[in-house]
Amino acid sequence: MTIGKRLAGLLATAALIVTACGGSSATAAPPAASTGASSGASTVPSAVPSSAGSASSAAPALSGSITVLDKYGDPRYAPYFDGVAAAYMAANPNVKVTIDHETDQGVKDKLTAMAASNSLPDIYFSWAGDYTKKFVRAGMALDLTAKVTGDWLNSFGSAALSAYTYDGKLYGVPITLDAKYLAYNKKMFSDNGIAVPTTLEELLSACDAFTAKGIKQPIAFGNQFGWPAIHYMTQLNAYDVPAATLATDYNPATGAFTDPGYLKALQDFADINQHCLTQGSNGISHENAQANFINSKVPMHYLESVEFSVLTKAGGAPDEIANNWGFMKLPAPSGAAGDTGALEGAPDGFLVNANSPHVDIAVDFLKFLTSLDNAQKLTKDLGWLSPIKGSATADNTFPQNIQVVDDISKASSMAIWLDTVTQSDVAKAYLDGVQGMLDGKKTPADVVAGVQAAAASAKSSQ
Amino acid sequence: MTGRSRLGRWPMLLWVAPALALLVVFVYYPVVENFRLSLFKWSAFSKEQFVGLDNYAHMVADPVFWGALFNNVAYAVVSVVCQVFGGLVLAAVLEELVRGRLKGILRTIYFIPAVLSLTVVGLLFTFIYNPQIGLVNGFLGAVGLSQFQHSWLGESATAIWSIIAMSQWQNVGYMMVLFIVAMQRVPRELYEAAYIDGASRIEAFRRITIPLVREMTLLAMIITISGAFLVLNEVWVMTAGGPDNASQTLASWLYKSAFFNDKMGYAATIAVAIFIITMAASIVQLFLNRGKSVQY
Repeated sequence: MTIGKRLAGLLATAALIVTACGGSSATAAPPAASTGASSGASTVPSAVPSSAGSASSAAPALSGSITVLDKYGDPRYAPYFDGVAAAYMAANPNVKVTIDHETDQGVKDKLTAMAASNSLPDIYFSWAGDYTKKFVRAGMALDLTAKVTGDWLNSFGSAALSAYTYDGKLYGVPITLDAKYLAYNKKMFSDNGIAVPTTLEELLSACDAFTAKGIKQPIAFGNQFGWPAIHYMTQLNAYDVPAATLATDYNPATGAFTDPGYLKALQDFADINQHCLTQGSNGISHENAQANFINSKVPMHYLESVEFSVLTKAGGAPDEIANNWGFMKLPAPSGAAGDTGALEGAPDGFLVNANSPHVDIAVDFLKFLTSLDNAQKLTKDLGWLSPIKGSATADNTFPQNIQVVDDISKASSMAIWLDTVTQSDVAKAYLDGVQGMLDGKKTPADVVAGVQAAAASAKSSQ
Repeated sequence: MTGRSRLGRWPMLLWVAPALALLVVFVYYPVVENFRLSLFKWSAFSKEQFVGLDNYAHMVADPVFWGALFNNVAYAVVSVVCQVFGGLVLAAVLEELVRGRLKGILRTIYFIPAVLSLTVVGLLFTFIYNPQIGLVNGFLGAVGLSQFQHSWLGESATAIWSIIAMSQWQNVGYMMVLFIVAMQRVPRELYEAAYIDGASRIEAFRRITIPLVREMTLLAMIITISGAFLVLNEVWVMTAGGPDNASQTLASWLYKSAFFNDKMGYAATIAVAIFIITMAASIVQLFLNRGKSVQY
């Protein structure tokens, strides 16, 4: 038995002991970053009608069982994936697909424990960036370059594939398309005679104007678990640091973070916080803050396009916001040194376990999952955009989502989430440091110093 | 010679063997293995590398570790005062002063929080502490104390204390029930004799109740202090150790080091520290209370 396996078992035992001895009769429940969903394995029940058209129908009969680990345990999302698996099994009667649904946070814990014990499922969720590279470096992610070819390859938008391509090889199959936007309430802007900002300076002025009119802290912001602030930093780093420097620094082997743009980005965020953001945000969840925007108490909110459906009437939003919201990229500072055409966002995707005994089934299932029919169903059922070309139409989604597709196609580059694109020590330095900044305990210079130290540590351990 | 004596102690050993085997496999082996693994640098994605005591040196120099240890000590001190002492007083008041149906109702009311899921309680208190819509800030604002309003879980100065306060609310009823069980075993004649001799209720509490529930007090202290050094769920649900690690405890820092920072060897080192601290605390308490049990 390797140390890895023993330690994984040991830590699992320790976690159980800690849970059991925690002084109370509780269950451990790590906080969900963006969903409050429960988790649990589910073997897909009875088949649902397939509208996707099995990509595998013409292939030789497949036989065997595969397991899938995703982060879509939210009851709103899980049925879609269960339904796709059921349809796949209906088309392939000798195949069994078991999906283990987790949450945003839970999937991180589980992937680490499974990687440590070399027991990863056949298909597993992974964020783009260094998060996926960890699996690639450890030989745990299958090179899909020779598998994703022909029409299947051409069905994807190129930006989504490039997010999972490293050293010219494709390691992941993207299934969603996501970007971060500043949503705003058109009616509140017009009622107060305030123009929609186009630069960061105009945004700060607009915030001051709202404050003067009694609408204080006009951008709804909850940073309870740290990542919402990191999303601001992702976009601001892209604006304030030249793209080539970013690429160098986001690589753990070469990262230094000495460019003055990093400090400028943090100072920009400090300005946004001072003029615009909800105060005491470290104690407020993203969802609680979002409720203030949905209820038209504040005019702006920074959110992902996969969350857009909560702003629609179908998603339960009141008419006042459902009929009056627009969105824009976070306005860039004037004279920014970086790429002001960059758009924050990344696809979510699945990797195939390099040691899976059922690679053929795993790849075939992913092909089925990303067929045009299933991609359109994803957009229709969940309001999410798919990386598959032509999946979003005026018939299956709301107008803002169509705009997002257009916007992504025009973006000069995609800025992947800072907490997944960087090495984990660097990500942690940003997460902790920016929380400390919001708490008034750290300055932007302190945060940069912490990030530089983390980058040096990461580099030395390569 | 009977058959039983011929077999000697073997039957007894046979009966205890399953429990012993379970303990060895699931408790003692992991503890020993954890000590060994704390000497390695290792992550889920890389091979192990022997580093000697480097992890221990890193731990000693790690400000988050010391902050977490301080939070655990604060947790233990407050829990002993509020849960053990508070539970003892609450039990005595219910046993001595409250009569009839009200006694059962109050006992149930105090105990209910202890049976609630920590996840549910954590989410509930997240709302109570919410700086915008929370009950605490709402109350402070309503009584003209808005200068004391805080983002209770979002400020480093208040986060851990807010979690500790929630924990007291949840667990004091549990301790109270333990003490009630102990008090119900105290013979009533002792109290009656004391009252005939002119003792007040407080004197009876001091001179009869406290000495005769000493063993339960010891048990409550061990449970409380050990529990305080193993606190994870409350922290994880409410703050995940934030902001900026201000509310980390040793267990949450261990968990974060292992599963977020991917430093398995360092996490094992923190586990060793927790083991030593809780073991030492238990031994000290057992030693201090040795031979002091009161018989009646």
